[in-house]
Amino acid sequence: MSAIESVRDRYRTFDDRRYAPLVKGVALFGLLAALPTLIEIDVAGMEIAALLSLKVLILTVIYAYTAQAWNIMSGYTGQFSFGHAAFFGVGAYATQALVVDFAVNPWVGMLVGGVLAAGYGLVIGALSFRFNLQGHYFALATLAFAELLRFVVTNMSELRGANGYFKPFPRDYGAEYGLVAFQFQNDLPYYYLIVGFLLVVTLVSWLIKNSWVGLYFFAIREDERAAASVGVPSFRYKLIGVAVSAFFTALGGAYWSMYFNTIRPDTVFALFKNVELLLPAVVGGPGTLLGPIVGSFIVTPVSEIARTTFSDINGLDRIIYGAFLVAIVIYSPRGVVSWPSQARALWNRVRGDEEVSE
Amino acid sequence: MGHLVTSVAPLPLQGGGLGRFIDPFVQFLTDITNLEPVLLQLLAFGLLLGGVYALTALGLTMIFGVMDVINFAHGIFLVVGMYSVWLVSETAGISPFLGIPIAAAVLFALGVVVHILTVEPIIEAPQQNQLIATLGVLFIIQSAIEIVFTPDPQQVELSLGSVQVGDVFIPLGQFYALVIALGTMLAVRAFLNRTDLGRKIRGTADNRDGARYVGINVRRINYLTFGIGAALAGVAGGSIALFQRFDPFTGETYLINAFVIVILGGLGSFPGAFVGGLIVGLIQVFGGYYLPGTTAQVLIFLLFIGTLLVKPEGLFGGAEA
Repeated sequence: MSAIESVRDRYRTFDDRRYAPLVKGVALFGLLAALPTLIEIDVAGMEIAALLSLKVLILTVIYAYTAQAWNIMSGYTGQFSFGHAAFFGVGAYATQALVVDFAVNPWVGMLVGGVLAAGYGLVIGALSFRFNLQGHYFALATLAFAELLRFVVTNMSELRGANGYFKPFPRDYGAEYGLVAFQFQNDLPYYYLIVGFLLVVTLVSWLIKNSWVGLYFFAIREDERAAASVGVPSFRYKLIGVAVSAFFTALGGAYWSMYFNTIRPDTVFALFKNVELLLPAVVGGPGTLLGPIVGSFIVTPVSEIARTTFSDINGLDRIIYGAFLVAIVIYSPRGVVSWPSQARALWNRVRGDEEVSE
Repeated sequence: MGHLVTSVAPLPLQGGGLGRFIDPFVQFLTDITNLEPVLLQLLAFGLLLGGVYALTALGLTMIFGVMDVINFAHGIFLVVGMYSVWLVSETAGISPFLGIPIAAAVLFALGVVVHILTVEPIIEAPQQNQLIATLGVLFIIQSAIEIVFTPDPQQVELSLGSVQVGDVFIPLGQFYALVIALGTMLAVRAFLNRTDLGRKIRGTADNRDGARYVGINVRRINYLTFGIGAALAGVAGGSIALFQRFDPFTGETYLINAFVIVILGGLGSFPGAFVGGLIVGLIQVFGGYYLPGTTAQVLIFLLFIGTLLVKPEGLFGGAEA
């Protein structure tokens, strides 16, 4: 008993140390970096990779990344966006349109996409916040802005309409496979690249959370009128949240367009893309740093594993996925990352009862 | 997951330039000044489609208005209605028209069950949780239908033909659907205004806490509202099945337009839903005729955003349901 307590005390004092976030971050991203090797280990005569392939890992980290980006706006400032597919699609389309039609390097296209998405986010935010849309109305407005783009792009021959873009070969834009071309011949570099993306957006989130910007964000989330009354310029800070979130979401879309072979309005702007992008954050715990990452490692593999395991009955995987979604919001409304503290509270209560009974 | 616009034919790629935005409107105005007979035909189609759209929005506006829940399963409720009507007319040989009340009953039961299992436990939780829970329900029901009935499109065997009034053709299937829509709307309105239960539902919509204080069992009102909302989706889906082929994914297009109509007409407003449905139906029919591809849908979303911003309470906001 005393051993456990001393470990716990050690952990508590560790939490207060200045270097604690660094250690945690290094541990987390070290684990992520080791995952491609870890999944090849045999467990009971079966490789984990048979269930959790590198492709699934990449998909998982992509959604961890987008959820982390979504979190900056919706988790921190509390403005629930249901239309992040707009930003994701803008990033994907800007990258592909520039690289296919003008042979512009995808990295440049990605940044252009990020800026365009941030601009679109500012338009959405300025209109919605100026007209004071809240709750469901704000969520529906963001969804409408995303659907609007889907139909605009579908009807624009300049952007190849409903057919979308095929990713070109690197030589088509004067590059060779590698980091500069944003294209690789196998999946492993793609994995490390998206982990790098996740690292950047997590770092930005951490910096925001630990600055006055984050303080303003959370004040707005908790009680916007109270925040405004003590001088928080809530309109401006909500706009900052949207723009930063949109920018990073667009980079995710750019990555998506360089990893998969095609993009179409029906894939990157899809109605359910809006859900997929934010789901890990809600499952993991909105407003937390770890939530989107943990959430994605729960949500994405379940969907992918169900798909491969029950491939003989088309649709069974989505029944399991749907039941999983329902269960997780009912049993864990505050997200998975709240489990340890809830368990600790439960443990303390049980122990407290024992002491009383003794 | 991208089945939303699979029913929309790939558009013919148009030439660039501003002309493509201006020409259709010039064409439209020319047709008006020439009193082209096609206008009357489009108007008829628009009104017929709009009536059905209004019906699809009724259940959604009720659940949204009373419980403040965005029900993403509404689209799949419509589809269950379509399959119910198809199933009873295929297997039992019952007329599809009699299938519609059966669909309503099936959906009422399904709605109550879905509510008790998924929405009830988290009615006080943050709104995004309800959204995700109803989305999970959508996935479950949609895939169940896909497994049982295959993803292939189905059709109710019913050749009603059409009548000609002057120069205008009116397809009877859609006409009956419009009649059912109007009848249902009046019936639900009477129910909400004249019956004790209806008044309780309206009271709960106005003020949940107040309703609780005066002794209304809000829990019961919640699951009845969800059940009635689902039953309305059953009637709507059943009516659509009278004139249209459908598959497990048909509901998604209707769902999005139903959201537009609910906001356009005003939360919980039935006359609003009717007018909103007509507006969306008319834009879609006229837009589909004059504008390239699915540009009409762009107009609908612009209208939607405009309404949200300028008059979020909708055209009939504040007016009584």
